[in-house]
Amino acid sequence: METYLYIALFAPIVGSLITALFAQMPKKICVGIFTSTLIFISFISSMILLNYVDEDQIVHVKLMDWISAGNLSIPFGFVVDQVSVIMMVTVTLVSTVVHIYSIGYMDHDESFNRFFSWLSAFVFSMMILVMSDNFVGLFIGWEGVGLCSWGLIGFWYKKHSASWAANEAFIMNRIADLGMLMGLFLIYWNIGSLQYDIVFAQIVNLDINVVTWIGIFLFIGAMGKSAQFPLHTWLADAMEGPTPVSALIHAATMVTAGVYLIVRAGEIYTLIPDVGLFIASLGAFVAVFAASMALVNRDLKRIIAYSTLSQLGYMFVAAGLGAYWIALFHLMTHAFFKSLLFLGAGNVMHAMDDELDIKKMGGLYSAMKPTAILMSIASVALAGIYPLAGFFSKDKILEVAFNNGSYFLWFALFIGAGMTAFYSFRLVMLVFFGEKVHKKLGFNPHEAKPFVIYALTPLALLAIVAGFFEQSFHEFTTQLLVNYEFTLDHSIALILIFATSAVAISGIAFAVYKYKRGGFSEKIEEWGVYKLLINQYYIPKLYKDGIMKPFTSFSKFLWLNIDNMIVDKTVDMIAGAIYGTGEKARKMQSGNLSSMLRWMVAGIIILLALAIFYRPMV
Amino acid sequence: MDHILSLIIFFPLIAGIFGFLVNKESIRAYGITVAFIEFTITIALWIAFDGNEAGFQFVEHATLISSFGVSYHVGVDGISLFLVILSTFMTMVALIGLNIEKDAKNLIISILYLEMTMVGVFLSLDVILFYLFWEFSLVPMLYIIGAWGSDRRIYAAIKFFLYTFAGSVLMLVGILYMGYIYHATTGVWSFSIPDWELLILPISTQFWLFGAFFLAFAIKVPMFPFHTWLPYAHGQAPTVGSVILAAVLLKMGTYGMVRFLLPLFPDATIYFLIPIAIVAIVMVIYTAMVAYAQKDMKQVIAYSSISHMGIIILGIFAINAEGITGSIFLMISHGIVSGGLFMLVGMIYDRRHTKLMSEFGGLAISMPTFATIYGIMLMASVGLPLTVGFVGEFLSLMGFYKVNWIMTLFAGTGIILGAVYMLTLYKRSFFGEITNDKNRGLKDINGRELAAMIPLVALVVILGIYPKPILDPIDTSVKKMIVLMQKKSVLPENKEFIIKVNSIRGGE
Repeated sequence: METYLYIALFAPIVGSLITALFAQMPKKICVGIFTSTLIFISFISSMILLNYVDEDQIVHVKLMDWISAGNLSIPFGFVVDQVSVIMMVTVTLVSTVVHIYSIGYMDHDESFNRFFSWLSAFVFSMMILVMSDNFVGLFIGWEGVGLCSWGLIGFWYKKHSASWAANEAFIMNRIADLGMLMGLFLIYWNIGSLQYDIVFAQIVNLDINVVTWIGIFLFIGAMGKSAQFPLHTWLADAMEGPTPVSALIHAATMVTAGVYLIVRAGEIYTLIPDVGLFIASLGAFVAVFAASMALVNRDLKRIIAYSTLSQLGYMFVAAGLGAYWIALFHLMTHAFFKSLLFLGAGNVMHAMDDELDIKKMGGLYSAMKPTAILMSIASVALAGIYPLAGFFSKDKILEVAFNNGSYFLWFALFIGAGMTAFYSFRLVMLVFFGEKVHKKLGFNPHEAKPFVIYALTPLALLAIVAGFFEQSFHEFTTQLLVNYEFTLDHSIALILIFATSAVAISGIAFAVYKYKRGGFSEKIEEWGVYKLLINQYYIPKLYKDGIMKPFTSFSKFLWLNIDNMIVDKTVDMIAGAIYGTGEKARKMQSGNLSSMLRWMVAGIIILLALAIFYRPMV
Repeated sequence: MDHILSLIIFFPLIAGIFGFLVNKESIRAYGITVAFIEFTITIALWIAFDGNEAGFQFVEHATLISSFGVSYHVGVDGISLFLVILSTFMTMVALIGLNIEKDAKNLIISILYLEMTMVGVFLSLDVILFYLFWEFSLVPMLYIIGAWGSDRRIYAAIKFFLYTFAGSVLMLVGILYMGYIYHATTGVWSFSIPDWELLILPISTQFWLFGAFFLAFAIKVPMFPFHTWLPYAHGQAPTVGSVILAAVLLKMGTYGMVRFLLPLFPDATIYFLIPIAIVAIVMVIYTAMVAYAQKDMKQVIAYSSISHMGIIILGIFAINAEGITGSIFLMISHGIVSGGLFMLVGMIYDRRHTKLMSEFGGLAISMPTFATIYGIMLMASVGLPLTVGFVGEFLSLMGFYKVNWIMTLFAGTGIILGAVYMLTLYKRSFFGEITNDKNRGLKDINGRELAAMIPLVALVVILGIYPKPILDPIDTSVKKMIVLMQKKSVLPENKEFIIKVNSIRGGE
């Protein structure tokens, strides 16, 4: 089984490195096929491992030592257990689809080869992240995906906005990474190891304050990767990258790494329910907060990005309240339908010559039927309508909130579910149905190539049926994860399910009804609420004016006024003073005998005085 | 193998003297050959080096002035071994990348002399010998900046010389005083470091001596607020000068701290630990912000060097094996990375004769390979895992966490700010459309430049993935030093402190 582990892990990087050699050459279709094949091989290996992993058999290998100093010893170790294998399968499956899709999507791009090199490198980093058996190994993947995300958001580096967004994402993640590093240090100095098994075995022996701090630091790390408030702004800006990247990195895999971390460190978080409650509350807040921004946005990709943000909030609610397997389940189903949604959006963008404003589309159904169907499936799944995947996973999260007695959280999620349904179908309606605005603007949409559509069908299939695996998923993952006990009455659970479904359906119905009739009037754009939402609560502006600008001017001030004027001037002044003294004292050496004699007398007097009055310490 | 250290020290000197006989056309090949042989010898030294032995190896001893105990005494341990290899390696790489035609002969001979003084500093076990090499190293550098620099080279060279010299003079007083105390205590004269290490000093004496040594090292590092000579020196120096200055000369200061301050004055070290750490943190943040404000690409990297040196100092003053081993590793990795970055800046300067970032933009379009190599070096500088930069930074910060977590948090902002100024630099210079016509059709990296950069890039990746061969010998020697410090410290609370910062969960 070790062989499969290594194949699953290293196949992507082999593809990436070989492809990198061709990065500067003109497009080679075989590059796309080659990397896709390798990712597919990685997927097959992951499936074999999924089949193999069982209650008492997991695969755990140590490749070699990495860092050792003092008492610290960090190996390159990898573990395939119930949690990591789920992540591996999800990641490689979505990656395979995205790779194949990209062959079509990036067809006309001059940097076709470079794209595949980065994309496969990302998959490798993500595999390191989920497969490592220690926290530092996870951190390698953590930074690795950050790097690849940087490279891919800024893929079209000639565009100013793209490279800006790439830097923003990297830097915001770095802020959170510092928190994570602090968590790692704290773990190390209290346990003496960063291996998962040792840490989780010994964490119970620690003082509860220390555990709380560990929990907080690790969560700060998770907040950056999973774009939780207040570090969320980078995710929407990351939409500057090519759409397959948004689908893979900024919907299905990388942004869920934070959730994975909390699930993986579940043994720590079960000890500190207060921190867990905070995580859940922040998650619920983000779920509603992000959904509200999705309600009014006109940018096709940004709407989906906010929706991702909102769904990440749902996952954090589940993880924070201790329902780790449910968080993981929603993570998986979300990966399927959200990447499907994004890839569908990519087709729409291509059809519309990269136009993103959904108000300029409309009626695309007739031109691109398959895409419309696929995106509708994904939207229904996202809205959480029975029997699609989202229903099973999202509903469970609401049940958890209710079961926990956190009625306020439940209510927030409930509202969020309604908003989700509404904005999803607002998007579907504005893009595919209604008046054909694009005709007036002179667009001539066309459907994507057939193989691109076929590549998406596995995702669509999974978005429909994945929910039915709930039971086996539960049994499988709770072999490792702490189980979550429902104490809810069966009838109350049923009522909750009905209520949630009802709010989702009414959200859809309202969107369909409203946008069939041409949508809202332009007047709402005058409303304060609308302005607040369309400006993303003015948070990006606040960051720009409140942090970036002062930082820049303060840096300039430090350089020009402190470093140059004070620190360096002082040095020059000291040097100048010495030089000046010498210059003045030189006049003593005038060669004039009488003045020389006078100086000599003065000198003798001083020396005499010293000899008389100065007594060195004996 | 008996005299391998003397060979390493004096081979560049002798080769440099013979260099005067070599004719002008072949001097470059001659220089590279000498540097390569020298590098090979240091590699042989590494192979022969016993990594499990913590003490000094290949020791050579010859009395010079017997009445004062001054001797020619050299040796190598895990702490100095890799700094020696770094010196010879970077000299070789810098010579490969060298493309100055004017007076090339004199320049190359200067560099070979400089190489001798650098390895001399790291290998000396006699303090007088150490001091000689330490001061000698200023002379070739003064020439390199003063003769081959840009417009304000004389000012920069003299500032560099006088500033660092002023600090060293105080160290000389400290050395003499220490020698005097050694004589007063034991009745014999000795300037040998292993002898000095056994001497237990009263606290007040430790304070004065610590101060005298520290100032010299602080200026060399350079620590805030003694750092202003560095941006001038880098700004005016030719590429080869900047590479050696950043990669090796600055490390002499931090090496001095590890070699002298910690084992000789353990109580004073612990006493001054927090103030020094605060200065180091100010230095990390302050210079990172100043780096962000720069318009000149080379100045960004110059200031970023200072910022990284702050992390190194923090690691040293963690007084635990994790921190000190990490900081020594960071000295190596920073040498490789900053040296590489200065070479890359030099390559752009050769093409465009400017270093202002506003003149660039879109370089990734015209020079894709160059941009890729620059990107790898930049990510190593930012400290991305699996590059060489991560290991040392991680260990240094981890070590200091045990001393004080809040201060570590502040120092850790350095990794954020590092990403800020480096990525901004990259974006401004390499991304975007080409707006300046002069950047169109620039030649991508050529064979000579690749020959210089590929070893660096390879090391960045290899040592990032497999740092163990370097970490292990360092760690062995560092652990021995910490035991020595613990034994030597006068105050019982300092003994406890050393045990505490070296153990998991507060000394259980």
